[in-house]
Amino acid sequence: MTVAPPAARRDGAGRPVPPGSWLGWVSSTDHKRIGLLTVGTSLVLLLVFGVFALLMRTQLARPDETFLAAQAYDQLFTLHGSGMIYMVMTPFALGMGVYLVPLQIGAPGIALPRLTLLGYWLYALGALTMLAGFAAPAGAHAGGWFSYPPLADSAYSPGAGTDLWIAGVFVAVTGTILMGWAVLWTVLRRRTRGMTMLRLPVFCWAMIATCLMVIGAFPALLAALTLLAVGRADASVFLHNTWNIGYQHIFWFYGHPVVYVMFFPYLAAVAEVLAVFSGRRFFGYRGTALSLLVFAALSMSVWGHHMFATGQVANDYYSLTSIALLVPAGVEYFGMLGTLLGGRLRATTPMLFALAFLPQFLIGGLTGIMVGTPVIDYHVTDSYFVVAHLHYVLFAGSAFGLFAAVYFWFPKVTGTRLDDRMGRWHFWLLVIGTNLTFLPMFALGYLGMPRRVSTYAPFDGFGALNLLATIGAGFLAAGMAVFVVNVLATLRRCSLGRARPAGDDPWQAHTLEWATTSPPPRLNFPADRPLPPVTSFAPLLDLRRRERSGA
Amino acid sequence: MRRHLSAAVVAGWGLLNGLLLAVLAVYGESAMVYWLWGSVVLVLQLVALAVLLSSRSGPDQHVRYRVPDRGAGAVLPTAIGLLLVALCFVYGRWLLVVAVPLLAVAAVMLARGTTARER
Repeated sequence: MTVAPPAARRDGAGRPVPPGSWLGWVSSTDHKRIGLLTVGTSLVLLLVFGVFALLMRTQLARPDETFLAAQAYDQLFTLHGSGMIYMVMTPFALGMGVYLVPLQIGAPGIALPRLTLLGYWLYALGALTMLAGFAAPAGAHAGGWFSYPPLADSAYSPGAGTDLWIAGVFVAVTGTILMGWAVLWTVLRRRTRGMTMLRLPVFCWAMIATCLMVIGAFPALLAALTLLAVGRADASVFLHNTWNIGYQHIFWFYGHPVVYVMFFPYLAAVAEVLAVFSGRRFFGYRGTALSLLVFAALSMSVWGHHMFATGQVANDYYSLTSIALLVPAGVEYFGMLGTLLGGRLRATTPMLFALAFLPQFLIGGLTGIMVGTPVIDYHVTDSYFVVAHLHYVLFAGSAFGLFAAVYFWFPKVTGTRLDDRMGRWHFWLLVIGTNLTFLPMFALGYLGMPRRVSTYAPFDGFGALNLLATIGAGFLAAGMAVFVVNVLATLRRCSLGRARPAGDDPWQAHTLEWATTSPPPRLNFPADRPLPPVTSFAPLLDLRRRERSGA
Repeated sequence: MRRHLSAAVVAGWGLLNGLLLAVLAVYGESAMVYWLWGSVVLVLQLVALAVLLSSRSGPDQHVRYRVPDRGAGAVLPTAIGLLLVALCFVYGRWLLVVAVPLLAVAAVMLARGTTARER
C-alpha cells in the first residue's frame, strides 16, 4: 500500500494546526476523530435522554403522581424515544463503523472522509435542533417518536416544537445516511491486500448489512418527515386515508430496519468480544455473515407488523416474515454459543457485558416474535408489553453490546484501559437495573397498562409493578453514574500522563486494528509496523499460532 | 465472481429484497408499497453497478491512498447552511438570507481547498 503525504504545500490553502486544537477536531478528515466525535456526542446524548427517562419513571412510581404535568411528560417521552433512536443508538453504531472499519480492513483512512465529516455535523446540529424544541413557546414535540398524523399535524400539535423536531430529525438522519454510505464504500472498496470479502471480520460484515439497510430504508424516513411537514402546512393532506395510512407505511419502512441498524453493530461487537475472550476463532463465520445479510433483507419486509391493529395491511405476510426472522437470528446465536463452547473464557468487563447480552437480547427477540403474531399483538398493542419488548432489544440487548464495545476498544482508542473494578460495578448495577425496570413492564402491558400515559389511578392495580420499575431505573442511574466517573477519571489520568499504558493488544485480540499502536496514528498503520499477512478473518490469531508453531 | 464479490453482495441483497417484494405481491398490498420498496430494489442495483464499475476500473483491493483533507474547512459552514435551509420550514424563508451566503462561503472555501491542516 502506498500512502501519499498530505498535500499541504502544493494546495497552498489552510494552515497547520496542533492536533489537539478545536479547529483540528472540527475539520479533521481523520476517520478516527470523526468516529470519536460521533460516539462521544452519542454518549453525551445518552445521558441527557436517560435523565428524561428517570424523570418519567419518577412520575410513574406511584398512582396519581403529580411530579410532572401531562404535557411535560408527553414531551419527555417523545424526546426520549426520538433521541435514543435517532440520536444515540443509530449514530453510535455508525460512529463505531467510521472508527473501526478502516482499521479492521487495513485501510489508512475512510472513503469519502469529507462527506463523513459533513454527516457528523448534520447529525450533531440536528440533535441540537430537536432539543431546541424545549425553548419553543409551547414546548418540545409531544407526538411520540413516530408522530402519526393527525396527532402530529398542526391542529393537534401546534407550535414550533414539532417543526423543530421534524427539521432536526431530518437533518440528523441525512447525516447518518452520509456516514452509512462512507462506511459501506470503505468496506467494499478500500480493503488492504489480502483482505478479501470472505476474510472480513464479523464486525465488518455486520456493518455491510447495517449500511445496506441505512441506504435502503433511511430515505423513507426523510420522505415521511417531508409528508408530515407538507401535512402541517396543508391540513387537507391528512384528511384522506391514503396519506394517513401511507405515512405509517413510509415511516415503518424505515422504522423496522432501524431496529436492526441499532442491533447488528452491537451484536457484532459482542461476537468479537466473545471470540477474543474465549480464545477461539468465531464459530460459524460464513453462516453468520450470510445470516446477517438474510436477516437484514427480512427486516426490510416486516414493517407491516407495526400496523396490524390498523386492519389495513397484509397481516399474513408480515407475520410470516416476522417469524422467519427466527432462522437467521438462530444461526447468529448458534455461532456465538458455538464460540463459547470449548473456549477458555476470561471474565473481563467487556466479556461480562457480552455474556449478559445473550439471554437478555433473547428475551427481547422472542417477545418480538410474539408481537409479530397478530393474535397476540391485538391484545398488547400500544401497551407496556411493547415498551418492555423494545427496551429488552435496545437496552438489555444493544446497549449491553455498546458497553461491551466501549470497554473492549477503549484501550485501542486511548491507550489505556477503563478501571476494571468500576466496570464490574457498572455491569452489575446495569444487569439488576435493566431487569428490574423492564421485566415488570411485560406484566404491566399484559394487564392492560397503555404506553405513553403520564399517570394511572390507584384502582388500576399498576402501582406495585411501576414502583419496581422505578426502583430499577434508580439502579440504572447509579450504574451510568459509575460509568461516567470511570470514563472521566480514566481520561483525566490520560491527559495528566498518569494512566497505565495498556499496550497495543492488551486482550490478545484477532483483528487488524490491534496490529497498530494504541491509539493508532493518523494513517492507521505506521511504516515501521507493517500489516501482518491477512490469512483469514482473524489474522492476528493466525499470526500468534504461526509464531507459536515456529512457522 | 470472487473478484467482484463486493458488487455481488449488494446486488444479491437487492434481489433478495425484490424476491420478498414479489412474495408480498401474492398476498396483496397497496400500490404505494410496491413503489416504495421497488424503488429501493432499483437503487440497490444501481449501487451494485457503481461498485462493479469501480472495481473494474481499479484493483479490487486498495493500493494507494492520499490524505483527502483539501476543502475540509468548508464542511462545518456547509452543515450550518443546510441546517438553516431546513429551519426555513420552521421560521420562514427569510432564513435563506443567511443560509445562501453561508453556503456560498462554504463553496468558495471548498474551491480554494481551505482546511486546517494537521501537523
